[in-house]
Parts: sequence; structure tokens; C-alpha cells
Amino acid sequence: MAETTLTWPKNYNEVPKAAFTRADLYADEIRRIFHGPEWHPIAHESELPNPGDFKTMRLAGIPLLISRDEAGVVRVFYNACSHRSNQLETAVMGNKTEFECPYHRWLFNAKGDLVGCPNPREFLPGFDKADYPLGQPRFELFYGLIFVTFSAETEPLDEFLGEAGETLRELMAGDGRLKLLGYQKVRYDSNWKGYNDNDGYHAPLLHAAFKMLNWQGGKGRQYTCTKRGHVCFESALSVASGPSVLKDKELIAFKGQDPSVGSRIVQLFPTFVSTKHLDVINLRFANPVDAETTEVHYAYFAHQDDDADMVRHRLRQSSNLLGPCGLISMEDASIFHRIHIGSHTPGNAIFQKGVRDPGKLESEFLQNDESGNLPRWEYYRSAMGFERAEA
Amino acid sequence: MTATTPELETAIDRLLLADANALDSKDMPGWLANYAEEDQASYYCRAAENTEHNLELGFMFDDCRARLEDRVTYVNEIWAGTFQDYRTRHFVQRVSHRQVDARTVEVVSNFSVFMTPMDAGVTQVLAAGRYLDTMRLSDDGGAKLLFRRAELDTSVLPRYLVYPI
Repeated sequence: MAETTLTWPKNYNEVPKAAFTRADLYADEIRRIFHGPEWHPIAHESELPNPGDFKTMRLAGIPLLISRDEAGVVRVFYNACSHRSNQLETAVMGNKTEFECPYHRWLFNAKGDLVGCPNPREFLPGFDKADYPLGQPRFELFYGLIFVTFSAETEPLDEFLGEAGETLRELMAGDGRLKLLGYQKVRYDSNWKGYNDNDGYHAPLLHAAFKMLNWQGGKGRQYTCTKRGHVCFESALSVASGPSVLKDKELIAFKGQDPSVGSRIVQLFPTFVSTKHLDVINLRFANPVDAETTEVHYAYFAHQDDDADMVRHRLRQSSNLLGPCGLISMEDASIFHRIHIGSHTPGNAIFQKGVRDPGKLESEFLQNDESGNLPRWEYYRSAMGFERAEA
Repeated sequence: MTATTPELETAIDRLLLADANALDSKDMPGWLANYAEEDQASYYCRAAENTEHNLELGFMFDDCRARLEDRVTYVNEIWAGTFQDYRTRHFVQRVSHRQVDARTVEVVSNFSVFMTPMDAGVTQVLAAGRYLDTMRLSDDGGAKLLFRRAELDTSVLPRYLVYPI
């Protein structure tokens, strides 16, 4: 197969706009990145809290079935019958301890074992059900967050996460004992990199809400880690004070127990974004649909120890604050679209804020620096095998 | 079947159409005016998929009159000038109603909403679903929304939402 090529500028702070728009790169990205040696978060186990609960999804085209068996063990399977690969389960979520393929009535338990199939005497000589369990990709859990990889080469998950793991643990309430509140699911008219490049980093200039609510951003740290350039933000909690245009001030209230934990954002290569802001705990499972479309499932959570009032507060805050129609984030969604349109022009996107030396990559940044995205771009370039122009 | 009158059906339909007209005109004060002047007046917009799995989270969760008033502020003041604007056309059809008491009627309607982004100009379906309404009837024969849940069959929206559905 011919390799795709794209000449990368010599400066680390420049990204060719063609990277967002060239359709011929997409198949290579799926092969090298989405089906390659990367870990992809696909769900949090609290989305399937009870024995028999399951969830299905597609990760860059590959159908997956996540199920919790009667003993409470969570497993990830390919959502395809081990016989002729008919999609096994069509519901997005539900509760079942057995999955039957309607095509030839092969029946699987929640451990993935083939437990029944009609007329096996007519099958290949020596047919044994034990040879036909549901196929499984590699998967690992991190404080309940379920990651899969389709490559045997991918390093262990802890190594993949590096220092980001600690920030991610804090973001998931410190112990990952979450309780699902629900989903907001949308498709953006944006290449997956356009989404990823602009979701984790929030340019405060965009958000009129901060000014109108008298809400000053917290001072904090932005850092990147591992060769992939995962981006993490850790900032002190900032609560709006003074006059506000809002009649219901509960929307931006903090009722949590531990203000020192503050706000957290963790953005993992290639597409995952997660955030804890005020009392919102939000994991965003983003998937490329095609070169111009990215589907994002915003999943929101409470903590298992929350009382009813706190769950109610999180529900009210989560629905209206940070998602695709949230008070302080709706404009982000529009930016994903506009970046995608604007990137169909010649030249490079040039990062400015926080770039001290375009010939060097750094790993510590100020909270509002846009240069935190650059290590990730460098990893993308190398993962795709693109040559950087000579200095 | 519950008793109904042409007057009641007219009051319901007038309110359904007034709300569609306000939304399609981007008239947020007009949208607010379709809600009852009671503290518990509320609007929710949520995927049916969430409801079916006992998940209360929504795209919009305006569970009191103060939040409805804030929604007008979001659209008219806070978000102004930041987004790609789009036109909508709401098609609403009452499918059933039940009078609970002299002042209250529960109404179920189907809706479909077309969306045309102002820049692209290509029309697509934004969402389809049902309105689950509780309406307050007034002495003058009018009706206002006390509670509305726009329950979307569309679990994956084609974009972000600026205006209520």
C-alpha cells in the first residue's frame, strides 16, 4: 500500500492545514492510529453498574460490546458473532446475560462463551463450541475507565497514561466510583483532529459568559506527558463572585466537599477529552465517523457517595453548563465547525500563545497557553510517518 | 376517552403553534411568554434514550422559571455573535390530550424540526420526537406551558443546540 505523505513545516508551532482536510490521510490515520498501537477509552464501568448490563458502540468502525457478567466482571468483545460475523447486539445499552445471534441462533453468555448452536453435527468435523467464543480486543480498566487497543504492540495502559493517570484519577472523583447521570450525543462537522485540537484547550476570549458572570479563570498548571503529548490541566477552583446576569446561580455553584481538588482536564491522544469543573464530571468519548465528521458522546457522572441533593445538583449543572448546548461551551462546538471550514485554505495553522521558541517542544505551560497542543501534533506527525522540513 | 371540547383543542393548538412560531422567529421573550408565571414552570430537552434508561440528564434542564428566564439571557446576550446561526422550522401535531382538572391538561404532540444553517444553506433534520406537556388553562380560554419535556427520538444530534427545541 502506498504511504501517504505530507511535508511538515520545520517549526514545531506550525501545523499544515491540509492535515485537517486531506481525505486521503484518513484511511491511513485509521490504520496507524485508531486501529494501531494506541489505547482508546470507550466507556466507564459505571455506565453498566448491574450484572447483565451492557453497552455497544463503534470505535472507528469496529463494533464493540461491553458487558458485565452475573459475577460483576466487565469484559469487552467484538460485537460480531463468531460464526459469520453478524452484528450480535443492536441495542445501544440494556441488560442481558445471554446474547443470541438471530441469523443461525448461536448463543453466547456474558463471558463470551458459545453456549449453544443448533445442529452442530452438520458442522465441520471436530467442531467444538469451545473454539468459538466471542472475539476480544485487548482491554484494561483504569479506575473503572475501560480502554481498548487493537494492537498487540501497545505498551501497558499505565505506561500509556504516564503522569496523566494521576490527574485522570483526580478528575474521576479520586476513586473512579462514579454513577452515570446520562448522555448528550452529537456529531460535529469537523475532522477528528479539529475537534481534538480545540476541545480540551478553552480559549477564554471566546467565552463571554466568564465576563458576564464575573468569573475569573483559576490560576493553574498545564502540562503534557508521554511521547503522545497527552494534555492535562490542573487549576484551583474558581467560583464566580459579584453580580451575575443569571437568576439561577446554582448553575455555577460549587457544592463539592474538597475545593482543593479544583478543576481538571485530561486530554488523551488521539481523541479523548475529560473534564471536572465545579461539580461536573464529564467523560467525552469521541470517534471519527469519516474525514469530516466526529461523533462525541458526552457522558456525565455523579459519585456513588453523593446524597440525593448532590445528585440533583450535578444533574442540573451537568445538563446546562459544559456540553454541546452548555452555557460556557456551546461556542466551542461552533468553533469546531468553523475551524474545519477555515482549514480548507492554503498554508499552516500557526500557534502563538505560549510559544517561546518555535524550534523547541516544552512540557510545562501556563493555563491559557495554546502551545500545550504542540507535543501531541509532533506525535501525530511521527505516528503518520510525515517528514519534518529541514531547519 | 376523556371529554374534550373544540374550545379546549383550539386553546391547546394555539399554544403549540405560538411556541413553534416563537422558536422559529428566534423570539426568546416570546418563547418565555408561552410559559406559566409560576416558579415551577419548566422546560427539558432530553434524548428518549436517556429517559428509557432512567437517566435524567438532558441537553437542556430548565426546571424552574428562573432557568427559563436565564435561557433567554444565554441566547440573546451571552452567546450573541459566537456561533454559526441557523434557521429552524418546527412542525407540531397534537396526538393526544387528557384534562386533569379544571385548570390543567396533559398533552402529547409529535414534532419534527428542520434546520438550515445560515452559512451552508442546506436543510437537514435537526430532531424528531414528542412534546410531553402539562398546560395551565386560564379563565379567558387561553393556555400556557407549565411543564414541557421535548423528548427526542434523535439520540445523536447533528450539531450543538443554541435554541430550545
